Amino acid sequence: MRRTLALVAVAVAAGVCVGVLGALPASAAKPPNVSGAITVSAAASLAPAFTKMGADFQQRNAHTTIRFNFAASSALVAQIQGGAPADVFASADRATMAALVSGGQVTAHPVNFAANLLTIVVKPGNPEKVTSLANLRSVGIVSLCAATVPCGKYAAQVLSRNHVSISTDKITLGQDASATLAAVASGDADAGIVYVTDAKRAGTTVQTVKIPASRNVLAVYPIAGLAPSQNRALANAWVRYVTSRAGQRTLRSFGFLPVPTAA
Amino acid sequence: MNRRARVPLAAILVAAVAVAFFVLPLVGLLQRAPWSSLGDDLTTSQARAAIRLSVICSLWSTALCVVFGVPLAWVLARVRFPGRSLVRALVVLPMVLPPVVGGVALLAAFQRNGGLLGEWLYDWFGVQLTFTTAGTVLAETFVAMPFLVITVEAGLRTIDQRYEDAAASLGAGRWTVFRRVTLPLVAPALYAGAALAWARALGEFGATITFAGNISGRTQTVPLAVYLLLDANRGVAIALSLVLLAVSLGVLVALRDRWFGGLRDARG
Repeated sequence: MRRTLALVAVAVAAGVCVGVLGALPASAAKPPNVSGAITVSAAASLAPAFTKMGADFQQRNAHTTIRFNFAASSALVAQIQGGAPADVFASADRATMAALVSGGQVTAHPVNFAANLLTIVVKPGNPEKVTSLANLRSVGIVSLCAATVPCGKYAAQVLSRNHVSISTDKITLGQDASATLAAVASGDADAGIVYVTDAKRAGTTVQTVKIPASRNVLAVYPIAGLAPSQNRALANAWVRYVTSRAGQRTLRSFGFLPVPTAA
Repeated sequence: MNRRARVPLAAILVAAVAVAFFVLPLVGLLQRAPWSSLGDDLTTSQARAAIRLSVICSLWSTALCVVFGVPLAWVLARVRFPGRSLVRALVVLPMVLPPVVGGVALLAAFQRNGGLLGEWLYDWFGVQLTFTTAGTVLAETFVAMPFLVITVEAGLRTIDQRYEDAAASLGAGRWTVFRRVTLPLVAPALYAGAALAWARALGEFGATITFAGNISGRTQTVPLAVYLLLDANRGVAIALSLVLLAVSLGVLVALRDRWFGGLRDARG
């Protein structure tokens, strides 16, 4: 009996050693001693990817908590300018980020970390036979992001680039990318223009109709730490994680594109 | 008159804090209001369309609340039937339900694609409620009607039923008793309930944007316009908020003494 116990003790001790040794290289790559909690204000289109990355990050870094505040980038900027507590801001376009940069509210120059394209989404089975942007003129209700939020600006760019104008009494405006998608996925809107990543996450509730790359608009996502942060070490660690190989791999798996080198 | 003296000073102080809690945000709004450009802000085409739509939809909604809510309140107050408390709870539910959830529930019932009734309405009659002005009225009615029903039901319960019995014993039919005796007696509660329902319909946001969408001139009421304009054009957003505030406050203050006072009298 006693011998069994001793064996168990040795086995446990060995296990702990192996565990510690195994953990060492990984933790050595991490910045030392990040702990505490931060709030990341991020564009609504980042919600699924960032939620997953937040869980991964917290698993790698015990004693850290990453909280998220997902909304339209423009709404988030208004909140941050109004003094809302946030440590990191990840935006769906560079214009909204620029508003914070010029206001001196970021700690470092923003880093572009992901890119996205737009796509048309329609009801499963494509009952309205939409094959191109021009077809959107003839369907019942088209769901677009409001012109004030990035996905709405991009959608307006795509439409004007392709010389398509849709009558305003057929357009329902979503307050962010998620709401715009929901109008098609679970509501009665016949078609919408959303990010490729949103269409991907909607699964079988919508069907996509591709917008060719030559006619599309590339959305570039910048990220930056915010000046009022009480935990800049953790905020910086999160920004590094998002741009790291592991973070980039997760973003790809949710359909985001790498940032083109020219951007 | 010496009732006031019975309220302890501490309660008065706490009450003052509560009043400040309600007043402070309003003062903040007034302080941020773009007074100099108010006229221009309110005559933008988007603001005008939103105000017009809000007035039309809230009045339609109030009318529907009265037409359907008064008989419902009457049944709840006077007819004993099994499950009455359950029915009452269901009727009041939209008051405590987050309006967005109400909108999702309305979608499940009335949307064209897979709604319980909506699919059928569309296939048989070609009627679509989502993304229409009628859908906005429906969403507003859903959240506003409980206010009318509970106010009128309370009013009906406080009426001395002997008046109705006396009329009946003198040969008046059920309809005549309702029209000539019950309705005049319950009128203060009816006005109060209608005013509350109207104010609630006017401010409706969550169920409307979820169910009827946000289409300029068709379903974009003032609260939806305010939300959308908040980060784009804060001036117009605050100007529109002020209109909502002024109208609602004006009506509540003007009606309080006459109608709510009447209600107090009816309760004795």
